[in-house]
Amino acid sequence: MNSKISALDILGLLARLAVGGMFVYAGTIKLLAPAEEFAYAIETYKVAGAQLSLWAAYILPWLELYSGLLLLCGIFTRFNALFCGGLLIFFEVLLAQARLRGLPVTSCGCFGSGSSNSLGYEFFQNLIFLALALAAYRYGRIFSADAAMGTPIAANEKTDKETA
Amino acid sequence: MRNVKIARLGALAGAVLFLATLAVLLARQFSLGPERPAPDFRTFGPAKAPVRIVEYSDFACGACRAAAGKLEELFKVYGGGIRLQLKHYPLVNIHPWSLDAAAYADCAGEQGKFREYSALLFENQEKWGGAKERPAEFETLARDLRLDWPELEACSAAPRTRRRIKLEMAEGEMKNVNSTPTFFVNGKRAVGPMQLVEQAKKFDNILKAAHCGPLGDCTEIQGKPAAF
Repeated sequence: MNSKISALDILGLLARLAVGGMFVYAGTIKLLAPAEEFAYAIETYKVAGAQLSLWAAYILPWLELYSGLLLLCGIFTRFNALFCGGLLIFFEVLLAQARLRGLPVTSCGCFGSGSSNSLGYEFFQNLIFLALALAAYRYGRIFSADAAMGTPIAANEKTDKETA
Repeated sequence: MRNVKIARLGALAGAVLFLATLAVLLARQFSLGPERPAPDFRTFGPAKAPVRIVEYSDFACGACRAAAGKLEELFKVYGGGIRLQLKHYPLVNIHPWSLDAAAYADCAGEQGKFREYSALLFENQEKWGGAKERPAEFETLARDLRLDWPELEACSAAPRTRRRIKLEMAEGEMKNVNSTPTFFVNGKRAVGPMQLVEQAKKFDNILKAAHCGPLGDCTEIQGKPAAF
């Protein structure tokens, strides 16, 4: 890694912390509430039945917590940034179809079902996080466990090194 | 070499995930999660009362009926110093009608008579609690209180009513509520009316520390007297 820290590195670090932190918060708040609460929120999107929604409510918060935590620590940064981005795209599709179908979703379930913003607001917010996940993917390696271990994660990083 | 580094990162990831799992499970064990407030008609006492009681209760349980009496006494003694939130925890495995009773009581609450209807449910517990077929008491009691029965019936069957009760049951399960009544007095668990009375011995000190007057007169700091 280049010893000089660039503005892009800082952006990548901040993006990594923002996306990772948001996923850790979203996962934890759901894990500390009954899964049924989140399951009810999922049901309102009308893409899954009650049983599947409940299973999703059991599994999804753990995925959010784990991927967010690994992204925060910078462990397998690129893979986790990609995974978080994938989850965000999935959420965007759910929100968009609910909006298009005019479903009466009172709580999006994004951060537990206690409070919620409008679907449009959540969609816009997710877009920002999606952009940040991309920044974390591209430039999020600084101050990460990956960097500390000196693991070359991706081909273009090698190219950067070689170019330097 | 690269494989060794990836293996080290994998081990680190495993450790982080293990610690996170442990932290979440511990937080659950100590009930550190967010709590849904009970609806207004099941909440009694000023919002800033120093003694905060959450009760998980079942209308078909005898100990809950006894506890309701104890709570009434506590409200008489400590009045404005207590805030009570009643939450439903019907033990559906042993009390087949208690989920329905909770739904009817909530719907009576929406018509402004939760206290009265729940008092009658407790009073007539023996008549409907163990009934083999759908008890007629739900309707009789509602009509005694001049509640709008057709509306009450429709409301009790409505998914949103059932959902609210089931969420409270799920919340109780997360808090490891196994029997009714279970109280959380300022976060401390008390199971059954006797343990509640035991905890009530500390109320004087709690109210004194919160600068409340004798008999739980906290009107000065809260501006609103308690009612139960």
